[in-house]
Amino acid sequence: MTERAADVLLRADRVTKLYLDGHVLALGDVSFSLHRAEYVAVMGPSGSGKSTLLNVLGALDRPTSGEVYFEGQALGAMPSLDRYRNRKLGFVFQSFQLLPVLTALENVQVPMLECVRSDAQRVARARALLDNVGLTRRARHLPKHLSMGERQRVAIARALANDPPLLLADEPTGNLDTFSARGIMRLFTDLRYQHGVSILMVTHDPQLAAEADRILQMRDGRLVEP
Amino acid sequence: MRLVQFTAKNVFRRPMRSALTVAGVAGGVAAVVALVGIAGSFERALTAVFERRGVDLLVSSAGGLQKTSSVLDESLCGQIAALPLARDVSPGLVDVYSFAEHDLFGVVARGVPPESFLIRDLEVLSGRRLAEGDVRCVMLGKTLAANLGKQPGDKLDVAAREEFEVVGVYESFSPLENGWLIMPLAELQRMMDRQGKVMVISVVARQPDEETILALRDEIAAMASNLEVLPARSFVGSMVEIRLARAMAWMTSALALFVGAISMLNTMLAAVHERTRELAVLRAVGWRKTSVLRLVLIEAVLLALGSAALGTLLGLGAVHLLSLFPTAGRLVVGDIGWDVIAQGFAVAVVLGVLGGLYPACRAARQVPTEGLRHD
Repeated sequence: MTERAADVLLRADRVTKLYLDGHVLALGDVSFSLHRAEYVAVMGPSGSGKSTLLNVLGALDRPTSGEVYFEGQALGAMPSLDRYRNRKLGFVFQSFQLLPVLTALENVQVPMLECVRSDAQRVARARALLDNVGLTRRARHLPKHLSMGERQRVAIARALANDPPLLLADEPTGNLDTFSARGIMRLFTDLRYQHGVSILMVTHDPQLAAEADRILQMRDGRLVEP
Repeated sequence: MRLVQFTAKNVFRRPMRSALTVAGVAGGVAAVVALVGIAGSFERALTAVFERRGVDLLVSSAGGLQKTSSVLDESLCGQIAALPLARDVSPGLVDVYSFAEHDLFGVVARGVPPESFLIRDLEVLSGRRLAEGDVRCVMLGKTLAANLGKQPGDKLDVAAREEFEVVGVYESFSPLENGWLIMPLAELQRMMDRQGKVMVISVVARQPDEETILALRDEIAAMASNLEVLPARSFVGSMVEIRLARAMAWMTSALALFVGAISMLNTMLAAVHERTRELAVLRAVGWRKTSVLRLVLIEAVLLALGSAALGTLLGLGAVHLLSLFPTAGRLVVGDIGWDVIAQGFAVAVVLGVLGGLYPACRAARQVPTEGLRHD
């Protein structure tokens, strides 16, 4: 990856997050950049601040101090963080977080309900995304009728619904067997190289981390040398 | 998929809970449709008794709380009839009797001159019409005659003190009027000890246009200071009995609606609580707070609309059943107006919005990171 400033998609600048009136440090002075189409793995023991970092980068939580910049714009200055989450990034969770009453096809459409798109456009886009993740024949199935690996593929398709440039993944293979986990990683690789999507992935799996362009190691809320 | 489809799936997720909520709110809507509907249809039926006979104005004495307490001099009829703008005039007197041995209470007895235009259109099913000079004679509406088991030639104890002869059984266009008895005005005046007095005077204008009617109203009002001259609709609408019936209907319905509202609130709170994590996911994928609010509110409104449909059917069914009972059928006219059904739906939607608003606000205010950790 080049280090040109124009390639920087997201930048954390001395991000600190304190809980319990400042008595618990979740993140301390975290600074790093993520480039376009870059895959960065975040590793560290439980409680080291990995998920908090994802929440702050994904604007689900505000930092106590410091700032996150996306395409050069501070999140704190954005008129709508909902719009940022809806259009600029996709979340992939360890436990998939699919809506149980909706089919795979409908789950993928959920983020699109916030956009000005016709019903037909939403369905067509959702079908295309399910095709991409190899679930064409499973579109009408409810999550409970899908395997774990298939559920995560649906979740990834949902994350890509509004064509975001960034995926934030929180241990996306944590609940999957080795075979399914490899399939998900191949999917991420395709997304990077074919669609230029950047990926920031929290993982405990050293093999998955080894495929990353860079590894951010966290301990006690701070970035440390790997 | 549209938002409303998404919401509908949530409604059917817990079918038993949704059904119980719908039943709870439907009870309130049914009460509105049945009770308010009965009050409204009674008012319309009573108005029709005058309007269908072309009555443009009703004259009564002003200031009384109840129209039935109105007392006018019968001679006023002649004065009004002499007005060039008046075409037809009929005095009337009303009292209410009970026939306890037949479980009939509150039977309307109407006293009018036998030649009055107000009874000219009654179809005589058996016997004959009232005639000039009839003494202690009555005509019975067909419903009342059936309830009393009387036919022409039979004797009828009125007010348990005087025996009248049933001279005829009639059928009116008005189901209400079919439950009444009609006797000569002079007879009812004697029974009520109001000789020479009437309660209300029905007036038909020479021309049925607004200008003529207004001019006639002004002329009649100028005859004496204590007169109230109203169109039939206003007259009936201002009757304290009608207003009380309407108020009682709403008050009774309000109790049922309150129970429905609590049921709705409880259901929506439970729905929001059990979907805490899902709602947090919606926020995580970029749904605005207002969208989450709308999702929960639409769910509540969908439940409310289901309740309104069921409640309307229940209410209409209850009214229909009541109208089949001989005693209740005299008072319950089965034609529930669209306005009442619309009111039932409106009330249900308001209940849905009110019952869903607090849970929806809670859902929208939820912090996504906390919601995602929720079990």
